[in-house]
Amino acid sequence: MHNAQPQYDRFNLFQRIEHGVLLVSFTVLAITGLPQMFALHPWAAFMISSMGGIETVRIIHRTAAVLLIVGTLYHFVAVAYRVFVRRVAMTMLPGWQDVKDGLQALGYNVGLVKTPPRMGRYNFGEKIEYWAVIWGTVVMVLTGFMLWNPIATTAFLPGEFIPAAKAAHGNEALLAVLSIVTWHFYNVHVKRFNRSMFTGKISHEEMEEEHALELEALARGARLEPDPEAVRRRQRVFTPVATVITIVLLIGLYFFVTYEQTAITTVPRQQVDVFTPLTPQPERVQ
Amino acid sequence: MGWPHLLWLAIAWVAVMGATLLCSQPVAAQTAQPPVQPTLQPVTPPDAACRLCHAASTETMTLPSGDVIHAGVDLSAVAASVHGASAAAPVYCTDCHAPRQRYQYPHAANPAQDLAQFQAEIAANCEQCHLPAQMHNPGHLEAAAGSAAPNCVDCHNGHETAPVAALQADPVGACQQCHQQFDDPLLADVHAEVVANFGVGQSCQSCHADEPQNEDARCQSCHSLLTRQLTLSSGDTIDLHVNPEEIVNSVHGARVIQGVQYTTLRCTDCHREQGLRGFPHQPVDAATHRDLTIGMQQVCQECHSDIFDRNADGVHAQHIVDGNLEAATCADCHGNHAIHDPDEPRERISQMCGNCHSEINAQYATSVHGAALLGEQNPDVPVCTDCHGAHNIPDPTTAAFRLSSPQMCGRCHADAELMSKYNISTEVFDTYVADFHGTTVTLFEHQTPNEETNKAVCYDCHGVHNILPVTDENSQVIKANLLVTCQQCHPDATENFPDAWTSHFKPSLEHNPLVYFVNLFYMIVIPVTVGGFLLFIGTDIFRGIRVWVGRQRQRGKDA
Repeated sequence: MHNAQPQYDRFNLFQRIEHGVLLVSFTVLAITGLPQMFALHPWAAFMISSMGGIETVRIIHRTAAVLLIVGTLYHFVAVAYRVFVRRVAMTMLPGWQDVKDGLQALGYNVGLVKTPPRMGRYNFGEKIEYWAVIWGTVVMVLTGFMLWNPIATTAFLPGEFIPAAKAAHGNEALLAVLSIVTWHFYNVHVKRFNRSMFTGKISHEEMEEEHALELEALARGARLEPDPEAVRRRQRVFTPVATVITIVLLIGLYFFVTYEQTAITTVPRQQVDVFTPLTPQPERVQ
Repeated sequence: MGWPHLLWLAIAWVAVMGATLLCSQPVAAQTAQPPVQPTLQPVTPPDAACRLCHAASTETMTLPSGDVIHAGVDLSAVAASVHGASAAAPVYCTDCHAPRQRYQYPHAANPAQDLAQFQAEIAANCEQCHLPAQMHNPGHLEAAAGSAAPNCVDCHNGHETAPVAALQADPVGACQQCHQQFDDPLLADVHAEVVANFGVGQSCQSCHADEPQNEDARCQSCHSLLTRQLTLSSGDTIDLHVNPEEIVNSVHGARVIQGVQYTTLRCTDCHREQGLRGFPHQPVDAATHRDLTIGMQQVCQECHSDIFDRNADGVHAQHIVDGNLEAATCADCHGNHAIHDPDEPRERISQMCGNCHSEINAQYATSVHGAALLGEQNPDVPVCTDCHGAHNIPDPTTAAFRLSSPQMCGRCHADAELMSKYNISTEVFDTYVADFHGTTVTLFEHQTPNEETNKAVCYDCHGVHNILPVTDENSQVIKANLLVTCQQCHPDATENFPDAWTSHFKPSLEHNPLVYFVNLFYMIVIPVTVGGFLLFIGTDIFRGIRVWVGRQRQRGKDA
């Protein structure tokens, strides 16, 4: 039935690739990270040994972390482009309306409210999702850095921050994974399979249910293409600035990864003279 | 005839009878008798007549066997002998050459066939004054008839009998007349030494007595008296003195073990070679003392095979196999004869190990464990064998030992009952394992126990043999000293770094409160957030079901 209905563009190719990178890095981080948190539980020990032992798991985890950070940097630059160059409305910013929409949706679900909320391009559910990922990524990157570089960290901060970072990193990971597995999976896979992040297009029915205001705005013809000349002008500023910032951040990332040699690779061996017989040899114990 | 004639006849008869009586003296006495002296006259020695003839006689007597017996006797030698002037009671020729009547002149023919028989007959008379033969020399005197067993005269001589002390002073010389074994200088030498060292109540009898000797008595009879040493081909010497009391009082003495009565171990139970061959012993194979000691471990194996097998896996046995003969073998730790329970008292063990590992033992003695053991005989602290094992001692330099060491420390330090006596937290083990070092080491131990890891184990921080209590100012792990300890592996660490370790405390308001609050925060946020999600999802599902049910009803109506 909704084959006959028009499909709307929702995510372009870059956005979908970006999401793919996020998906892969997040998943790898979760399956290499959670067993480290629960390392001595049998399921975790099994996973760790399947993946090549704890040292290998840690390396995979850090590699995926770098991938996530690169993806995050890209995201900031891409959003900056959309905001500063193409002047797209910042539809992801949360507001009180989203709280009201959430309450209305809840009421509608239980039958207390007659009509469902009508929501824009990104509804409250997606905003929760998005900002949770932003918050979570910030926490994970900061605490991850502390765990990866404890000596550099304790040069400035009290030592207690390291075990605190470990607790925060593990717990935040748990929160993130549980959120994805419940909220994200239900809303986009279980309730209905939303293919927009893979195909780039969203169906009319989905638009009606989840982004009714956007549909309305589209019907009104509100979509405006920005003036190409203006875009080019802004690009001329944006491109060098963004390039410089990106390079600086990537150099920063490189240092992040390589700066500290936390520990020597082999435990120092003490030379101990083991055979030091008492002389003269005492009488054997009689 | 009248009565006066009868009276004179009677008187004449009495006179004639009396005269006859008075005059009928024995002829010899009459002829040899010195002039009769009135009173205080010494009684003539019964052997005076013997002496007169035999002192200067050159006569000989030849027995049927061809043995010749000289009649001449050196009387001065007899006088000088123990039976002579110094004797307690006079000894006359006929006391030995008995019975006296037989030896009255002319002597009857001597029935002896040979010299031995001649002497044996005389020797039989020694018993009149001296101990019955059984008590003195049964082995000799009760030998089968016809054997060459000696009689009294063979050893003690006939006329020139010397005092017993002289015999004892040179027993070998006396015995050598018959026992040509003593031509072997070693045999002669050993016997001489043994006899020289006779204690009270000891004599040749101690070895060579009548009752069948058990092998041990034979061994001990020499070895308990010897003071000499055996020299091996390398020049090493071995003390041959053995105190039998040591074995009786050792674990190998008679004792009841688990309800079974064991008898004392015999010399030959261990010293098989010597037992088989008796004396003189075969030369000892071993070239050096060390070879001998190490070779003897085969003997221990016979009874203690399980321990021997465990020991063979251990580092000491491996060293010996590799050619380092200084490594300890059974006797080095347990002794050879005076073997006692090795842990009575427990300090014995550290002293024993310290014989070779003296520097390590010195460190141990000043450590918290060693000081408690040596100072107050504390039964709870570990001694060398508690960590290293006694027999199958693992090489402590291997990765496997290192990775398994936290479990080893945890045996005591995770035991709540034990630790409560000393106010030491049992969380030490749990907190270690929960943190980065311990998690890694535990995973390695489970998954790749032989792989090296650079993560710290208990003794990397606390010290190995020099562990001090945390109240000691020199402890490696107290705050003041911890940076240096961490810098062993983290050379770039700075002042704040050691605080990254939670010091074996679970996070609480008192210890590491920041961590405690982070955990508390998430303990609230996670259930609230995820719970909220699930709640919302639940309502959505609820609505979905209602819609679906409604549609079903609608279809039903439409149909």
